[in-house]
Amino acid sequence: MLLLDYQNVLIQSVLTERFSGAPPAHIDQTVSDFDGVTFHISTPETKTQILVSLQIRCFKELVQYGAEDVLHREYGQYVVPAETGYDFSVLVDLENLPADKEERDELIKKISLLKRNAMAAPFEHAYAEYYKLKEAASKYTSEEAPQGVREGGEVMAIHYRDEEAIYVKASHDRVTVIFSTIFREETDRVFGKVFIQEFVDARRRAIQNAPQVLFRNDPPLELQGVPGVKETTGGEIGYVTFANARRNFPHPDFQGLFSLSHQSIKVLRRARPENEEKERKTASGRTFKVQGA
Amino acid sequence: MDLWLRDEGLPVETLRVYMASAFPTSSSPTFEPAEQRTNRSLLHRQAFSGHLLYLPTYVSAPPFTRSLTVAVPATTGVKTHDQPNITTVVVVVVVVVSPHLTRPPSPCTYNSDRLGVAVLLLGLLPPSPPLSPSPRHGQPDPRRCHGQLSVHYSGTGFSKLGFAGNDSPSFVFPTAIATKGPTGGSGGTGSGRPSVANKPSFLTGGAGPSGHLSMKRGTEDLDFFIGDEAIAASNGPGYGLHYPIRHGQVDNWDHMERFWSNSIFKYLRVEPEDHHFLLTEPPLNPPENRENTAEIFFESFNCAGLYIAVQAVLALAASWTSTKVTDRSLTGTVIDSGDGVTHVIPVAEGYVIGSSIKSIPIAGRDITYFVQSLLRDRGEPDSSLKTAQEIKEEYCYVSPDIVKEFTRFDRDRSRFLKHVVSHPGGRQVTVDVGYERFLAPEIFFNPEIYSSDFLTPLPVVVDGVIQQSPIDVRRGLYKNIVLSGGSTLYKDFGRRLQRDIKHLVDDRIRASEVRSGGARSGGLEVQVITHKRQRHGPWFGGSLLGQTPEFKSYCHTKAEYQEYGPSIVRRFALLGGPGGS
Repeated sequence: MLLLDYQNVLIQSVLTERFSGAPPAHIDQTVSDFDGVTFHISTPETKTQILVSLQIRCFKELVQYGAEDVLHREYGQYVVPAETGYDFSVLVDLENLPADKEERDELIKKISLLKRNAMAAPFEHAYAEYYKLKEAASKYTSEEAPQGVREGGEVMAIHYRDEEAIYVKASHDRVTVIFSTIFREETDRVFGKVFIQEFVDARRRAIQNAPQVLFRNDPPLELQGVPGVKETTGGEIGYVTFANARRNFPHPDFQGLFSLSHQSIKVLRRARPENEEKERKTASGRTFKVQGA
Repeated sequence: MDLWLRDEGLPVETLRVYMASAFPTSSSPTFEPAEQRTNRSLLHRQAFSGHLLYLPTYVSAPPFTRSLTVAVPATTGVKTHDQPNITTVVVVVVVVVSPHLTRPPSPCTYNSDRLGVAVLLLGLLPPSPPLSPSPRHGQPDPRRCHGQLSVHYSGTGFSKLGFAGNDSPSFVFPTAIATKGPTGGSGGTGSGRPSVANKPSFLTGGAGPSGHLSMKRGTEDLDFFIGDEAIAASNGPGYGLHYPIRHGQVDNWDHMERFWSNSIFKYLRVEPEDHHFLLTEPPLNPPENRENTAEIFFESFNCAGLYIAVQAVLALAASWTSTKVTDRSLTGTVIDSGDGVTHVIPVAEGYVIGSSIKSIPIAGRDITYFVQSLLRDRGEPDSSLKTAQEIKEEYCYVSPDIVKEFTRFDRDRSRFLKHVVSHPGGRQVTVDVGYERFLAPEIFFNPEIYSSDFLTPLPVVVDGVIQQSPIDVRRGLYKNIVLSGGSTLYKDFGRRLQRDIKHLVDDRIRASEVRSGGARSGGLEVQVITHKRQRHGPWFGGSLLGQTPEFKSYCHTKAEYQEYGPSIVRRFALLGGPGGS
């Protein structure tokens, strides 16, 4: 279970139950997801019409980077005007479902991925820009490239939490994704650093095609001049940079990253008791203490 | 602080009054004869300022009467948990025993002239110096500690998770976890399967059942499933099923922590540092369990805030949705009947009266077994447990009078129903549904038709529980009898219970009116509250209280935890109590 799913389990289970032909029932559930996302599943008018609404802190920014297009492309006919207090809504009519079971499962999957699809826009945008720039750059050598091509696109900032953000920037040879992370406590900072260092080292050791990862405590050069990025941080904020040229992870899994860091801290803890084990037994059962160890 | 009083059960000729005061300055309790007095206002006002009190049993008739009807257990006790603001406990004992008394007092009703009476009054004086180790009075009786005070099953193995403000839990699944390797050695697993052969540890990466975490090299401890997925995984090879909670107590904290971690991250999908958590515990949960829980929630999950509430109190809060409830009090008797066991829990102003809790070994599972045995007796084509459960849930109801109900069935054949069972493969079998429709829930009211060792009807148990509780809360306990749990959902269950309890109470009142020679009683209101949220009563109560704006101020925060340590969770301000909403 090392990796968490992308989709919201509750939306998935509620829809699966409803779609399976169970008698229509009234639903009114508010549930949450990572990164301060809130979902509201309800049957506002009749029991056969299920409304799923999404509220996300950075929706304005996402719209700016083309979220509406992505969501309309994904949900098309199901999109309805957003419910009050929420940013985006889809409505499913149980009496009007696709007849095919596989199509129904596909729809369930799609709706439970609502949050991921909303967050995907800036990344898709960045990759589109990357291909454009790549093509533009292929006409020049690195010295004579004009201003716009050499520096790449705008930095897109997604403030998905109060103090933490994701920055996405496309250039002609790569797409750079920067996560700013906050570790308030000293111990967390150490754990966080050790863990993220693993990411950095992974490329060196085993996984050659892993994206390039950098970790530093001051804003990377890409973020210079971006509003809201502090110049010095006092070590609380870390910046994790992924640079990726291939389109092998178009929708980075943020939750995966965070849950991984939660889990890995537990793995790191295992290192501790080992050092404390000082008593050893000989074959005859006598024990002895390791001196000074 | 434990204070125990023993009634020797010996014949005593005169009336005696003892007062035992445990002052913080004296190392042993002093005894002094005192006037027979009942400082009831003191009792009422301060008895519940503590965390958890085991209030004693005492007379059921008005004080100062020489002729009393009492229920006196052979041993009565007073016990409080460590409370910094309780420094003094005063106990008054009145013993009246006839010289001709031949048998020792036991928990049954005697007549007035020849009886043993023990009156205990408990008053807690206002706090002065900090707590000192309190003296013990008499000998604690372990039998009473563990025998009569019931063990609570935490929903007999189901966890209910969800967000405050919703009307039903988002997830209800078995409190089970499937881990790599064979099933742990801690008792039966319920699956009944032989576990997978134990490989040498170098092949499994050291993931033995008892292997220390530090022995594991890989990520075995991250490879596990919980809930329904756990049950599914344990049917395949490689995984063993464990139940981290046994008898309402956490049995394996490592499994529990992993269960919680998966619940939070995989199912609820929340970042714990942004959320407050409301957990529930059974009544009489040892405070150490709370501390362990707090350690996990604050240190492993780094949660923003934590509140631990008693299930029975939340079940009371859930009943506020009923139109019958007008005054939102946290005084009442909770009848919590799930799958494994039924509890009757009196709650006074938000605190459980621990000494009066009773549990009944008859609950949902027994009703299912009973239906199954009726089906088998008739030789129905399908008498599986699943069919019995479906019949129980779909057709059963409580009848006012079984004799009349039998004749009604015989007169009107339309009351006999047919239940269609669909087998996998499309085969359908029809099962007749007959008298079990009303006989099945009847085992609560006439247990002798099902069980040969437990024979006390539920109304008698409820009445007994309230009679054992302090006299000044009894009126509130009778007035607010709240149902909770899946096995209380039968139609007319509440109505029948209310009627039966009312009969018991009225009979007793009439009897004492006759004995008192002409005094008239104003009567006593008995009310059983049935409401729409019974099935997940405690969960709904938590959802109700958790969405109030002041809920967060009742929680302990990470900063407070770090300041005071785990012992901070021994005490919580009373959610929804006076001063709350």
